[in-house]
Amino acid sequence: MAWPNIFQRGTLFSRFSHHHVVVFLLTFFSYSLLHASRKTFSNVKVSISKQWTPSAFNKSIRLPVEIWSSNHLFPSAEEATLFLGTLDTIFLFSYAVGLFISGIVGDRLNLRWVLSFGMCSSALVVFVFGPVTEWLHFYNKGLYCCLWIGNGLLQSTGWPCVVAVMGNWFGKAGRGVVFGLWSACASVGNILGACLASSVLQYGYEYAFLVTAAVQFAGGIIIFFGLLVSPEEIGIPGIEAEENFEEDSHRPLINDAENEDEYEPNYSIQEGSTITQVKAISFYQACCLPGVIPYSLAYACLKLVNYSFFFWLPFYLSNNFGWKEAEADKLSIWYDVGGIIGGTLQGFVSDVLQKRAPVLALSLLLAVGSLVGYSRSPNDKSINALLMAVTGFFIGGPSNMISSAISADLGHQELIQGSSEALATVTGIVDGTGSIGAAVGQYLVSLIQDNLGWMWVFYFFILMVQARPSSLVRGAWSSLELPQGCVLCCHKGRFSCLTAF
Amino acid sequence: MTSLYTCSAFIPGQAGSVRLRSHWIGHNKYCRMVILEDEGLSWICIQCPGSVRNLSEVALYCKQTPELMLQARCCLNQKGTILGLDLQNCSLKDPGPNFPQAHTAVIIDLQANPLEDDLANIFRGFTQLQTLILPQDVSCPGGINAWNTVTFYMNNQTCQGQRNLCNSTGDQEMCPENGSCVPDGPGLLQCVCADGFHGYKCMRQGSFSLLMFFGILGSTTLSVSILLWGTQRRKAKAS
Repeated sequence: MAWPNIFQRGTLFSRFSHHHVVVFLLTFFSYSLLHASRKTFSNVKVSISKQWTPSAFNKSIRLPVEIWSSNHLFPSAEEATLFLGTLDTIFLFSYAVGLFISGIVGDRLNLRWVLSFGMCSSALVVFVFGPVTEWLHFYNKGLYCCLWIGNGLLQSTGWPCVVAVMGNWFGKAGRGVVFGLWSACASVGNILGACLASSVLQYGYEYAFLVTAAVQFAGGIIIFFGLLVSPEEIGIPGIEAEENFEEDSHRPLINDAENEDEYEPNYSIQEGSTITQVKAISFYQACCLPGVIPYSLAYACLKLVNYSFFFWLPFYLSNNFGWKEAEADKLSIWYDVGGIIGGTLQGFVSDVLQKRAPVLALSLLLAVGSLVGYSRSPNDKSINALLMAVTGFFIGGPSNMISSAISADLGHQELIQGSSEALATVTGIVDGTGSIGAAVGQYLVSLIQDNLGWMWVFYFFILMVQARPSSLVRGAWSSLELPQGCVLCCHKGRFSCLTAF
Repeated sequence: MTSLYTCSAFIPGQAGSVRLRSHWIGHNKYCRMVILEDEGLSWICIQCPGSVRNLSEVALYCKQTPELMLQARCCLNQKGTILGLDLQNCSLKDPGPNFPQAHTAVIIDLQANPLEDDLANIFRGFTQLQTLILPQDVSCPGGINAWNTVTFYMNNQTCQGQRNLCNSTGDQEMCPENGSCVPDGPGLLQCVCADGFHGYKCMRQGSFSLLMFFGILGSTTLSVSILLWGTQRRKAKAS
């Protein structure tokens, strides 16, 4: 068993200056803020749905129209729910497209400019989506769709930039630990978004959007004035000078940005002491690698479930148990907490065991049980929170592992060893399929819930989660060996540290 | 259509309130229409010719309080709000489309009219109404439960003391979430926002202090940006 580098902390952290700390914190919080504003939408679904529909109260008492039924954007709450699912899907698709574009653009432009532009303009779009349409009482489906497409494209600038900046500053040694801690940023962002939204929801849903958009805009400004993209900017030698060539297996952890390699101009990916020719492989070749397709499809299923929880949990809690939306938002935090713990713990265990598949398979089997348990949760907040954390633990953990470490392992096969483009392509395929699966899933969730109810949504989740263990034990991947020293980074309950979304 | 010696006319469906004034030009009398809205008198007061009967309840009510004055069929206060309406003997099958103009009335007299029975919804909005005099064959709007006392006289019946039916029905879920029941007229109820709630479907509570929020956020951003620029980017090469 190989103990991860976390135990060599002493020599590790002494090399980090205050610049490293600031870069860590800035990138951590900038991605958290991007995530928080994404989460806000899920947190206010109930209120928005109420705002868009007339009142469905059926008693003889008179309800003055201007208070209770002046808004007819959707005739009923069910139609509004369907549209909310559509918006989620639109967002995910445009996010995936934006990732590809950002990969190309980010290589040519300064990362700091791209990141602050992305944060500030995405904040402006969210501001128009929420507060402006509400204050003007202008409700229009087409406008909402266009704004959300724009939001998806602009938010996609965040992830590749922050990963690249982190990659510039933190060399291979200790990357595992640092990235492990850092990758909790998405879950922290979810928690932050839920807290912010629930605290101002009583004033109106538009204020939840206003607060998160304003804070994100402020974050963009702070990034612009405070972020150093790489050590070379202030004359410190870059990480190439400090490469620790033993730790070649850390490579997968920092290769990122979907299929493109343009994000890593400042650090080179080396394989041991052999500097092999960096050879791109085509998309088709990458698909044909053993394990890529089954894992991609399986990841799509898992990401679907993970994302559905992300987008729909507060809405479900409000709808099913009748809890107030602000309370449902606060409670939904527990899923992220479970995910953070799950990702960390399972990553650590699989690192120690040097095997991924058994941990994954076990976790997913238990995930089925936790989903069943959660779907039958009683109307009690503490028990529900506990079950929610357990579910997050068993679904978030595998989701992370597949997207990060296993992508890395897939890309490490002998067939393509030494090709960083190959790894990026493989990562991109796995993650891209996952994103598309998640996008389709959002619409399906609202459709199923509309027609069949929440129980059938849970059955659908169980089906998706069960698709995994079968493909895991199949073939050569049942005994997937970890390259030496490959530290599992991800603590996040949601997104891998490698791949976006 | 004017009579030979007086200008009087009933013009149904007229959009504004009008009165006819006469003036002589030579040997001819001309009747001129004067828009009464400028004079502040609602159509309901003049649609039935005549004025408040001297011994009617409306007249008594009007004379009790010194600030009130009688005009046509109405008893008005200083601001022109209708407080009393006397439509006795107007041959009305129903009070007409202008009736809601008198929604502020405290006393209304409708006796000696061939009114059709179901008056329940005509009185929507008449929250101040305390005395209603109706022909004998017509029942009090909202039924006997909606009024404190119903008295039968020879020529009419008098419904007195409008009751708030919100508490009496005993149904706790009368209004949607955050709504509260308020009376909407005799025997009628409506849901408005409960105390502290406002906005569409009464979803909003309180008011968000934008100034404080942006003040804090702006100053924090400014200070952090300056701090970071000073410690991080000041030595950065141009990029």
